Amino acid sequence: MPYKELRILVMNPSSEPSTPSLAGRRVLIVDDDRLNVRILSSILQPEGYDLRAVHSGEEALTAYEEFKPDLVLLDVIMPGISGFETCRTLRDRHGALLAPVIFITAKSESDDVVEGLAAGGVDYLPKPFKGREALARLRTHLHNRLLAEQQRQLVSQLSTANAAKNKLLGMVAHDLRNPLASICGLADFLGDGTVGTLTPDQLDLVRTIRETSQSMLSMVNELLDLSVVESGELKTHPVSRQIAEILNKSVYLNNINAARKGSRIEIEGLDGETELLIDADKIKQVVDNLLSNAIKFSPPGSVIRVSIESDGDRYSVLVHDQGPGIPENERHKLFKDFSQTSVRPTAGEKSTGLGLAICKRIMESHGGTISAENAPGGGGLFRITLPLPRLAA
Amino acid sequence: MNRPQTILLTDDEAHIRKFIGLVLRQFDNPRILEASDGAQAVALYREHQPDLVLLDVNMPNLDGVEALAQIRALDENAVVIMLTSLANRQTVEECLNLGAADYIRKDTPRDEMAARFAQVITECFGEEEATA
Repeated sequence: MPYKELRILVMNPSSEPSTPSLAGRRVLIVDDDRLNVRILSSILQPEGYDLRAVHSGEEALTAYEEFKPDLVLLDVIMPGISGFETCRTLRDRHGALLAPVIFITAKSESDDVVEGLAAGGVDYLPKPFKGREALARLRTHLHNRLLAEQQRQLVSQLSTANAAKNKLLGMVAHDLRNPLASICGLADFLGDGTVGTLTPDQLDLVRTIRETSQSMLSMVNELLDLSVVESGELKTHPVSRQIAEILNKSVYLNNINAARKGSRIEIEGLDGETELLIDADKIKQVVDNLLSNAIKFSPPGSVIRVSIESDGDRYSVLVHDQGPGIPENERHKLFKDFSQTSVRPTAGEKSTGLGLAICKRIMESHGGTISAENAPGGGGLFRITLPLPRLAA
Repeated sequence: MNRPQTILLTDDEAHIRKFIGLVLRQFDNPRILEASDGAQAVALYREHQPDLVLLDVNMPNLDGVEALAQIRALDENAVVIMLTSLANRQTVEECLNLGAADYIRKDTPRDEMAARFAQVITECFGEEEATA
């Protein structure tokens, strides 16, 4: 199933924007004076532009929609609506996407020039026309227009590609997750003798399978979270929940992993009453992340302390590990995507550098914060803070 | 009866059935019937009336939600736990409304999964301690 979808998601490589040729670009000439039209046409024809001429503002408005010009040459004084009026109407209709409008003016009318620019024109062409000057001005504006078009196209391609990447990431991670969880779980059963006793050598291999699949599983989970966050689909469903329940559960489960390293997690200062407006799954994910990091970066046989601070407005959970802490000059990297500090796990554990970045997004979506410091007596100290709901008077 | 003696385990993926089958073994080694889609699950339920049913949500032929509805129509006391992939809140809610006893994500680590099963078993089959 997935492979067919994957192929669709892979972007077609787009052609590089090259130095553009302007031949074939569409120029709309609007002038009631047919002689002027003829002169302009004879100047522009050799450039290979696609020309269309109309003789009033009203006609210009219709022709603009059909012809979709890349540039408009617009006379100011015409019977019916004026050139300025025509330009303002076009600008109201097309906004930033309007093709550049160049006004045709008599040389001395500098007021016209000002009004023309105010009406949305980009330039003016004085009469009588000088061929080389006219061509130079047109080329510049046609070229700018082309570049702007290419840029718009590029931005839209990039955002499509980015969305495809996020979707791909999500699908791959999703499809990998359950099989990895099974491999890991089945290795657990092999290792603990549920299906028969293993020799020490066999046990060693099984343990390797277990640890490797476990760390792959964590990475896949983090990638999946990232794709959700990146695509703007991180949705939290906050309900009033006892924070103690979530903390106890997370500590209990992480203590199982801590025990493998001879470490343990101790929690103090919990009360069974405080309720916070939180998405329990997401906050548990943050706490799990802090606890598993604390185990990962503390030497075997450590005690990780979890404590609570509350001041009536905000509720903080502190996780104090016995690792080396984070060097001051690397602390800014902690909460960024895919960034890793020089501090390494103490038992060869793996890390994607995504966990804390995701935690930060989750905390922010709760109106909370996450931060890290080095504890005065040594070790890293991570703190998450959540707003306390206002008590009814 | 304090323990489910027969459990119907439904998932279209063999590795999931193997893994969860091993988790369930810890509960006094019950007889486990395996089904790989919803239609099979309903047929097996009709034939054996298992004490506990585990139903995957996304399956070919008949999906878990449909199968849950049919099983609960056959027996309004059927104890069904849904196996979900990504906790899909809407589906989960639908299942709980249809009478599922609980739901559990398939990628849950085994100790947590065992604890969750123990909880449902204690609630549905009596007070006797039901730890692994």
